[in-house]
Amino acid sequence: METAKILIVDDDRDMTSSLKAVLEGRRFCVVTACDRREGMEALRSESPDLVILDVMMDTWQDGFEMAREIKNDAKFGDVLILMLTGVKDKSGIDFKTSAGDPAWLPVDAFLDKPVGGDVLVAEVERLLAGT
Amino acid sequence: MPGRDMEPLPRDARLAKRAHWLIRVRWIAIAGVVAATFISYRLMHIPVQEHALYAVAAVLAAYNTVFLILLKRSARHNEETVVAKVHRIVSVQISLDLVMLTVLLHFSGGIENPFMVYFVFHMVIASILLPARESYLQATLAVALLVLLVLLESNGWIRHYCLDHELFEGVHHGGLFVTAKVGVFATTLYIVVYMAGSIATQLRNQEEAYWQANIRLQQNDKVKDEYVARVTHDIKGHLAAVQSCLEVVHNKTLGQLNERQNDFVGRALNRTRTLTNFVRALLRLTQIRLANSYEMQEFSLREMMANAITAAEPRAETKNIRLTTEVNLSNDIILGNSMAIEEMLSNLLFNAVKYTPETGMVALRAGDTDDSVEIEVRDTGIGIPAEEMPRVFEEFFRASNARKVERDGTGLGLTIARQIVLRHHGDIRVESVQGRGTTFTVTLPRRPTMPGLTRTKNEPIT
Repeated sequence: METAKILIVDDDRDMTSSLKAVLEGRRFCVVTACDRREGMEALRSESPDLVILDVMMDTWQDGFEMAREIKNDAKFGDVLILMLTGVKDKSGIDFKTSAGDPAWLPVDAFLDKPVGGDVLVAEVERLLAGT
Repeated sequence: MPGRDMEPLPRDARLAKRAHWLIRVRWIAIAGVVAATFISYRLMHIPVQEHALYAVAAVLAAYNTVFLILLKRSARHNEETVVAKVHRIVSVQISLDLVMLTVLLHFSGGIENPFMVYFVFHMVIASILLPARESYLQATLAVALLVLLVLLESNGWIRHYCLDHELFEGVHHGGLFVTAKVGVFATTLYIVVYMAGSIATQLRNQEEAYWQANIRLQQNDKVKDEYVARVTHDIKGHLAAVQSCLEVVHNKTLGQLNERQNDFVGRALNRTRTLTNFVRALLRLTQIRLANSYEMQEFSLREMMANAITAAEPRAETKNIRLTTEVNLSNDIILGNSMAIEEMLSNLLFNAVKYTPETGMVALRAGDTDDSVEIEVRDTGIGIPAEEMPRVFEEFFRASNARKVERDGTGLGLTIARQIVLRHHGDIRVESVQGRGTTFTVTLPRRPTMPGLTRTKNEPIT
């Protein structure tokens, strides 16, 4: 498998750094962004294969909106989205049942924070392999 | 379950208030009797018994004074007996008033006198203040007194002072008229008692229900606090362990780390510290809220302020902030929980220093007001956005501009400060202009009245 490029968007720099370290350890090429605007810029300039997106950026819904923006734009049609979130505990919403519903939550997979490095890598590899 | 630290049932508080009100109203009634007598006899030449009526007014004034004294005395007893006493005083007052009103009627024409309608007032008062049974007894007393008066007068056992005046019906209407009048009057009294009483009972029950609900809310709130206290305590234990393990690695006790390893352990350690601070603040807040009483001691506010300044100085110096103190106290010894007050003071000072840009100024000032001291912490900091002002004391709330200055704050510092002030029966206010600065003003009573400060003072449930 050729080296896939992953974009991590999260407003918590400790999170982006540690995820980056884990994924780089598995030979992925990783770029990071800390908000929606930076994320969209990186999406255009770096054309990643997969975006790891955090829900709870500044406005609590930047993540969702960014996911919609990506999926609604034909340019990014092939970009996979893996959403990371810790909102389940707070909101009681189970995203797993909704993941893939293009209208509500247009993402390809979803993981609850905190996520172990192995689980994250396995999910990323599964998505990239297209299974 | 009304405990010692609960406020009295509003109904009981109202009863005492009404008892005083009744006495005030009676002074007016006495003046009314005197004026009415004077006008009827002297100006309108109605043949009322002037001297007897003045005498009745004097008796009224005499027992009104006695009741006033009794009432003032009863207030000194403990709460449960006060209610019973006030209750009895009100009841006796109403009965006596009925008797006096009957005597007044006797000397001013008996049943001819239209003032007999005034019995209705007492029925309304009785139905609102007394239990239903007692109000009906009062109504029965009124009717009995009136029937007695009519019987005595019509049989000639006592004299009937006939009011020979065009305003009155005259006495020669015969037995049927008198019976009808007394009958209508009696039913009027009972119906008034029934109507006013049922409305009053309904309101009383509603009030009782609200009061009970309020107590339940307070109890639930306490259960929640206990829960938070236990959970945060557990979390704190684990956090402390995580932190000390990380410190061992970070301090290179176990050997050198490469730069990236060190960076990551450092990040983890910082986040752990932030969380530990947060948990500690939450635990502290919960402890303050849960404590039933505060240990109080006398201490010097002047010394405490000096200590707080010394503690804040290093941080202020690194930011080149000028710290000033001004103490204008006639007597700087106050009573309170010194640890808590110092904590509150430090919280306010640290906040001021934290949110004041370099070369700014933070001023701590203390002054006298009546029975209180007023402490003011003023800074030339970033201020608080006007629309966020009402929320600054809320748990976990952080102003939007504060979050930009420092990402990790607990949002509990001001909540804790406020709780401490409230538990001392004091008051904390904030004024601020965004971009210009903020002033916190704390008022503390020199001697908080109740040493066992109460839970009800925590948060009024509205």
